[in-house]
Amino acid sequence: MLKFLNQVTTYGKESFQAARYIGQGLSVTFDHMKRRPITVQYPYEKLIPSERFRGRIHFEFDKCISCEVCVRVCPINLPVVDWEFNKEIKKKQLKHYSIDFGVCIFCANCVEYCPTNCLSVTEEYELSTFDRHELNFDNVAMGRLPYKVTQDPMVTPIREFAYLPPTELDGHNVGSTAPRAGQTPAEIVASTPAQSKPSKEG
Amino acid sequence: MNPGIDLQERFIETLMELGLTPGVAKTIWLPIPMLLMIIGATVGVLVSVWLERKISAAAQQRIGPEYIGPLGILAPVADGIKLVFKEDVVPANTDPLLFTLGPILVVIPVFFSYLIVPFGQNLLITDLGIGIFFWVALSSVAPIGLLMAGYSSNNKYSLLGGLRAAAQSISYEIPLALAVLAVVMMSNSLSTIDIVNQQSGYGILGWNIIRQPIGFMLFWIAALAECERLPFDLPEAEEELVAGYQTEYAGMKFALFYLGSYVNLVLSSILVAVLYFGGWDLPIPATMIAEWINVDPNNTLFVLVTAGLGLVMTLLKAYFFLFLAILLRWTVPRVRIDQLLDFGWKFLLPVGLVNLLLTAGLKLAFPFAFGG
Repeated sequence: MLKFLNQVTTYGKESFQAARYIGQGLSVTFDHMKRRPITVQYPYEKLIPSERFRGRIHFEFDKCISCEVCVRVCPINLPVVDWEFNKEIKKKQLKHYSIDFGVCIFCANCVEYCPTNCLSVTEEYELSTFDRHELNFDNVAMGRLPYKVTQDPMVTPIREFAYLPPTELDGHNVGSTAPRAGQTPAEIVASTPAQSKPSKEG
Repeated sequence: MNPGIDLQERFIETLMELGLTPGVAKTIWLPIPMLLMIIGATVGVLVSVWLERKISAAAQQRIGPEYIGPLGILAPVADGIKLVFKEDVVPANTDPLLFTLGPILVVIPVFFSYLIVPFGQNLLITDLGIGIFFWVALSSVAPIGLLMAGYSSNNKYSLLGGLRAAAQSISYEIPLALAVLAVVMMSNSLSTIDIVNQQSGYGILGWNIIRQPIGFMLFWIAALAECERLPFDLPEAEEELVAGYQTEYAGMKFALFYLGSYVNLVLSSILVAVLYFGGWDLPIPATMIAEWINVDPNNTLFVLVTAGLGLVMTLLKAYFFLFLAILLRWTVPRVRIDQLLDFGWKFLLPVGLVNLLLTAGLKLAFPFAFGG
């Protein structure tokens, strides 16, 4: 009899425990309801891409020496470098340059290895087109600079989490100009004592 | 208690003053409350679908529907219109008759149950003598429709979903009925009007939740299971069964299932309010308010205002439980089928029986408080 009663008590206790856990869970979900939605309403609000963002690649035609390093470091040999040897100046002369951004994986290896820095990454990521062949950018298309999110009057720029002032958690609550947490690279440079000779390992 | 306003009598009297015979006047009156109730139930569904989307979004820190009407209020309407215009596909190798009959058999009993839902002393279609039992009986018709839909789809997921729905509805019907029985025992009547009247008079202190906390929990859990809401939504568990018995349905037939499930949820919420939270009764008794503001409790305007407030109270209480159901949806994970049946038969059923016995004992011991 006592054993049975014990069992009943344990069972009852467990039931109450279960009910308490459900109650705790409910309070958590209820608490979430008063938090602000983290949604970035895309066409009207856009996140400001970070400075290391690897978007569409920018190309400066005049800097290029047609060395084809970009082609060799590309995982799929994507850039098309069309050049001709000019006998008068004894130099390679670039005629056309193109990258198909429908195939590109945006690894930015070409940017990394380009000896003349004629390639660079932009923060442009809105590359959708009606025809995939339109993504095959030639040197003119690659020479265009993207429109900045912060300068677009139609768009509310929102900063990513890492770029918010200290203790702020949501980019919606902070203006896009408030200083971020920590020092910016420019500030770090300004605060370090000036050196007459930059050391080799830097 | 004041008898409230009797719309039926007023309406028939007005028509008779216009020179109609009482029979004709009554015939004109008859379809009006039914139409009103059907429209009310459908609008209630639209509101609850919108709430479901918005509250779900809030619980997940999203925004939810926003551009379809102000605050996305027209999103459920857009859903409905989309479903109406979709092609009505009947897959090959199904049983076309049963396939069509299934959703109909699921929806009609739910709408029928609105016959006994009271929003005020006279604000219901009929005050049936068997009242709440009518609802319990009708809700056991739905699993037949679900099983029919699942079986006739000629699809293993549908069949499994249908079988699960049937098993679940049948197992949770019993604790539901036991919880209702305890309430009925206290009010000595099956009529929903009598059940509310027995609770009213003392404001919030008189509500059944005070005397039947266990019964309320039982009823709420069983009602969630009957509506196939999330902790118990096994029949349409999308991760395992695609959409259960709804898998093969599209267009209007799917819309019927969708409508049926939400109408059922609203109905269950209203019935929780009616059975345990005093229905249209105000938290502070109406007679007390009348005393405070020095109005005769039988003053026409006062009666009208309290009736309106009662309607609002019923809906407020019902929508509070709807909110709770939606919040529960994002809080508790789905149970397994064996856990579900274990819980129904080995926990809810004994607890329901104990609760019934306890109520009976208390009724004998304290007849003044437990409706002797």
